Amino acid sequence: MLLTPQSIGWKLKSTLYFITGAIASFLALPIFFIVALSFGSSQWLIFPPPHWTTKWYERFFDNPQWIEAALTSLQVALMTSIIATAIALPTSFALVRGKFAGRDYLYSLFTLPMIVPVVIIAVATYSMFLSLGLTGTLVAFVISHVIVALPFAMISIINSLKLFDKSIENAAVICGASRLEAIFKVTFPVIKPGIFAGALFAFLVSWDEVVISVMMASPELQTLPVKMWSTLRQDLTPVIAVASTLLIFISIFIMLVANILRKRSL
Amino acid sequence: MTTQQSSAPLVTLKLLNKEYGRFTAVNKINLEIQQGEFLTFLGSSGSGKSTTLSMIAGFETPTSGEILLHNKSLINVPSHKRGIGMVFQHYSLFPHMSVRDNIGFPLDIRKTPKAERNKKVDDILKLVQLEDFAERPPTLLSGGQKQRVAIARALVYEPEILLMDEPLGALDKKLREDLQDELRQIHKRLGITIIYVTHDQDEAMRLSERIAIFKEGEIVGLGSGRNLYDSPPNAFVASFLGNSNFIKVRAVSTSEAQFEQQTLKFREQTTPIKTQADILLMVRPENLHVLSEQQAEQEPLTVEMNQIAATVEETVFLGESYTCSVVTESGQRLMSKYISKDHCEIAAGTDIVVRWNVNHTNVYDQWKQSDITKA
Repeated sequence: MLLTPQSIGWKLKSTLYFITGAIASFLALPIFFIVALSFGSSQWLIFPPPHWTTKWYERFFDNPQWIEAALTSLQVALMTSIIATAIALPTSFALVRGKFAGRDYLYSLFTLPMIVPVVIIAVATYSMFLSLGLTGTLVAFVISHVIVALPFAMISIINSLKLFDKSIENAAVICGASRLEAIFKVTFPVIKPGIFAGALFAFLVSWDEVVISVMMASPELQTLPVKMWSTLRQDLTPVIAVASTLLIFISIFIMLVANILRKRSL
Repeated sequence: MTTQQSSAPLVTLKLLNKEYGRFTAVNKINLEIQQGEFLTFLGSSGSGKSTTLSMIAGFETPTSGEILLHNKSLINVPSHKRGIGMVFQHYSLFPHMSVRDNIGFPLDIRKTPKAERNKKVDDILKLVQLEDFAERPPTLLSGGQKQRVAIARALVYEPEILLMDEPLGALDKKLREDLQDELRQIHKRLGITIIYVTHDQDEAMRLSERIAIFKEGEIVGLGSGRNLYDSPPNAFVASFLGNSNFIKVRAVSTSEAQFEQQTLKFREQTTPIKTQADILLMVRPENLHVLSEQQAEQEPLTVEMNQIAATVEETVFLGESYTCSVVTESGQRLMSKYISKDHCEIAAGTDIVVRWNVNHTNVYDQWKQSDITKA
């Protein structure tokens, strides 16, 4: 009765196909352009590329600055992911299981960094670390990234914990396990996919983050997006397209893994 | 029975109370549970039966009152040290473990030696007939198999008490009856004390030695199924268990009441009924006999029988029985149930008399209208 593919005429059908295709391309074309440009021979990012080459990839991997930035990104993202998940796990338990006044407000507080404009968090953390003399350090990077990554890790864990049937944990308790034992032996293994998905989302948030990172960075310590941004201000080189391509594909890969895990936890 | 009564109870609930804010879920109940007994908490949802079970398991803390096991308080003993087994409504198996590891879990927690653990798991797998499914994950089992794993997991460490919270509620009728029979066998074989929670009165009757009927946080009836059915302690239990006819009448003596033009007799009560009191007479439909006017003439009314004249409203064939609905002159509706094998249908509009034995009459002088109107 509703709009099923069988019930609509070919005219409407082809119009819908067209609109869907147009929107999908609108969303995907920038990625496609960047990937194409990273393999193009033109120094000036001419499209379509006159010839195909992998020389910009060689440039990228030959330049220790790019490699170092990529490794810094990886390091910051990994640490952010681990710390955010470690904080999110007990927090989620408190917010889902706890019965205390102001629980809903506390939940809102924890998810606030998702709503507050990133630039405000960036300015705030920057001024804080400036007064502490910590700008340009790995600690500053990780702490500020944890702030924005925490809600993403938390939401994933909270969802899987809400879906988890607590009587399974109670069953372990009545079988003789202490509450803590039951959580470690039963609850964690069951919600593991949700925890991993949360960790991956936190990783992604940090991996893609540029606004805060620009503030935290120093010439000696910068993440891949920061390096791209600063390079872009000096000159336009296809190496940036290479960096973008790598960034995108790693993000897409992690996103896919996180989604598979999340589906499995449901 | 007498030895059971004289020995100390296994579990004692004393003035057990549970309040959630202003809502009283369990209202100062007292109960003694004997060793080896199969006791069922029967009641509708929100009657406090599950909360009481949760307090025995230790998942809920009583607001006040006492739970004693072997005369020792359980209140400050955490769930995992109570040594109680429990089967939950939705099986609650560990999805990341095989059937064997699910059942072995309580033994692993107790650090039981490997050989002993495996033997116990194998024995219990045999008891619940799941030997062939030992290595499967629980997700690949049917509902009935899952519940048998849950029962095995609760029995493997030989707890003194097994708590069961509507364990068969999610299964279909046929499977439920099979598992009920199986459960009764297990109870007989192991001699374990079982406290069973259900809202299904057939299930309660089929399984239990004693039934505790819960209503609004209180136990309003306690006894064997037969006892509660034949002589309900109050109008609520009479209405809740099975079908019942209630006739509101005025007492004219301690053993007689006036209904329309007829005098109805009932047994003298332990606390005598006051003359002129409004009372409620209850008769089960199967104790109410419908006789044609001819039959009534042939069979003279004996002293222990009551009789009311009425007209047949409708007769419904139910296979093994008929139910016949009749209406008296003043509009009182009565249901009679009789075996179809020896009788035939009585046509609507026929003038008849209904008779019942005085001994099958229950009398109540206090009740609320809500007690006798089924929700």
